[in-house]
Amino acid sequence: MSLVALKGIKKSYELGKTTVHALKGVELTIEAGEFTVVMGPSGSGKTTLLNIIGCLDRASEGSYQLDGAEIGHRDFNDLAEVRNRKIGFIFQNFNLIPVLNVVENIEFPCVIRGEGGKSLRDRVHALASEVGLSPHLLHKPDELSGGQRQRVAIARALITQPQLVLADEPTANLDSVTSTQIIDLMLKLNRDKGVTFLFSTHDPRVMEHARRVVYIHDGAIVDGSAHAAADVAHNKAIAIPH
Amino acid sequence: MFNLMRIAVRNVVRNKRRTVITLLALLIGVGVMVSVRGLLNGLQASMIESVTKGQVGALQVHRKGYLKNVLSSPLDLQVPANEAFLKKLAAVPHVIGVAPRILFGGMINVEEETLFVMMFAVDPKREFVALPKRRDTFSAPAQAFVTGSSDEGVVVTEELAKGLLGTKRRDFSAPTAILAPDRDGALSAENAKILGTMAMSAPGEKKIALVSLALAQRLLKLQGQATEVAIAVDDLEYGPQVAADLRQLLGDTYEVHQWDEIALFFKDVVRRQEIMLSVIASVFMILMLLGVANTMLMSVLERTREIGTMMAVGVRRSKIIGLFLLEALTIGVLGGLVGGAVGLGVVTYMGLHPLHIALPTSPVPFVVVPFIGMGYIASVVAIAGVGALFFALYPAWRASRLRPVEALAGG
Repeated sequence: MSLVALKGIKKSYELGKTTVHALKGVELTIEAGEFTVVMGPSGSGKTTLLNIIGCLDRASEGSYQLDGAEIGHRDFNDLAEVRNRKIGFIFQNFNLIPVLNVVENIEFPCVIRGEGGKSLRDRVHALASEVGLSPHLLHKPDELSGGQRQRVAIARALITQPQLVLADEPTANLDSVTSTQIIDLMLKLNRDKGVTFLFSTHDPRVMEHARRVVYIHDGAIVDGSAHAAADVAHNKAIAIPH
Repeated sequence: MFNLMRIAVRNVVRNKRRTVITLLALLIGVGVMVSVRGLLNGLQASMIESVTKGQVGALQVHRKGYLKNVLSSPLDLQVPANEAFLKKLAAVPHVIGVAPRILFGGMINVEEETLFVMMFAVDPKREFVALPKRRDTFSAPAQAFVTGSSDEGVVVTEELAKGLLGTKRRDFSAPTAILAPDRDGALSAENAKILGTMAMSAPGEKKIALVSLALAQRLLKLQGQATEVAIAVDDLEYGPQVAADLRQLLGDTYEVHQWDEIALFFKDVVRRQEIMLSVIASVFMILMLLGVANTMLMSVLERTREIGTMMAVGVRRSKIIGLFLLEALTIGVLGGLVGGAVGLGVVTYMGLHPLHIALPTSPVPFVVVPFIGMGYIASVVAIAGVGALFFALYPAWRASRLRPVEALAGG
């Protein structure tokens, strides 16, 4: 059973008087433990696809099964629950809660579902240490560098032990050294803990390490392997076929 | 909940300048409400004192049915004014003074001028002990009436003095007579002497003369009688208890009323003051709560991405609403508390430095000592909190209706 199974996913929305067809029947499966990159030019629909897989948005048509359960038509609060339990998010702009410090930001997804106490704090500290944040536990986001903020976001995405972590251009706002560190960190988590990552990125360094590249063009997945191979070759990367 | 509260409080502190401005609006609003209430409390207390210690008394005893017919000043509805009866009344617990009076219509004549006058006969020896503030309205020469050395003495209102003597020619030494029909309808007269003037602080009849009870009893052939007995008590709080005791003591022949049943104009004045206060309070409250609503709306607009982030990690809509309501409540209660404290400070200061309001109708300034109850402050703080909650409903609802995708994109 695939972790993510999309069948005939379409998404259209109104933009003024015109209807934009952002996704035109996407078929995609992602297995647990994959380290997958979705790539494509701007406007190709990759962010829309990630939003639907992340339950932040709903498809207009089609079936979406996450971990075997159909979730395409659930209501807002159900989707909030799914996001909280099964999905972690890493955003381009880090999106931390400014009034919470590092520890509070990391534990936030657990706290809102009623967890707390020493066991949670221990997990937060262990995770913070793993992503290299131990010296900054009580700092607020505006006291951290970009790389440190993204580490907080990664820890926050992982604290709930989600089945899937979605990362939308996670290195876009980071310098090259920090980007490499962040990518290495995620690779390590994927390798050591089996965390499933799904990226959208333009960053060739991410693609270098992708186990699988999904190419999206004009709202549809195009021949994944061929494009991926071409892209990877273009980026002079060592592609590891899945 | 605790976590939401923590975030709410930190968000309130986060934008210091805006929070301070909003708190300032609340502070001014609540401060003004408390100060005006305190001032009004002082004013009303002063008015009550003037009524109960200078005019009506705390209670009055009449013959049954008198008050219904008070406009015709019925002389046949009498109460005894003898020592035995008055002593019986004075023996009731908390009673500190009894003052028999006769209210009657008559005429006053000075040389060729005769005017119809409302006469008010009092026993100076008792009246000014029971109602010491009445003499505050007397002009200096009129103070002679208080000693009661001569029962021919008359004190007239300024208006009556003007009518009798003209505005320029002020000569109280001219021969004066009081005329009135007695209880049988026969007109009789007594010699009198105008001692001075008094001011009337209560609205209503302006041509009033104060005469001695002895003179009135002779004139009206009501020896040993009066038409009302004013009762003074040590504390108005005991009014209802004293009224009950007096009713039990006197039985059905007499009626006992508390001051507010007699001084009906007072209720009217208080009602108008309360309406005015309500209008002022509502305007200030709405203005300051609109400030809170504006702050919350700006906060929602500024924090769209943050709301999106919260939604992304699984925060439900109800909690988003809860967060913004908690922020509004925090601002409302905080502003209310600070405003309440400032208002309390202002009222306390005014209480220590009483206002002396010079009324054109009174030679003695009207002293207003503002005061405020903690209950009122608590209720205003509660109104500020609940009001802030109410005015934050729309901004909070708007925040909760954001779609996660749009919110994450910054709205």
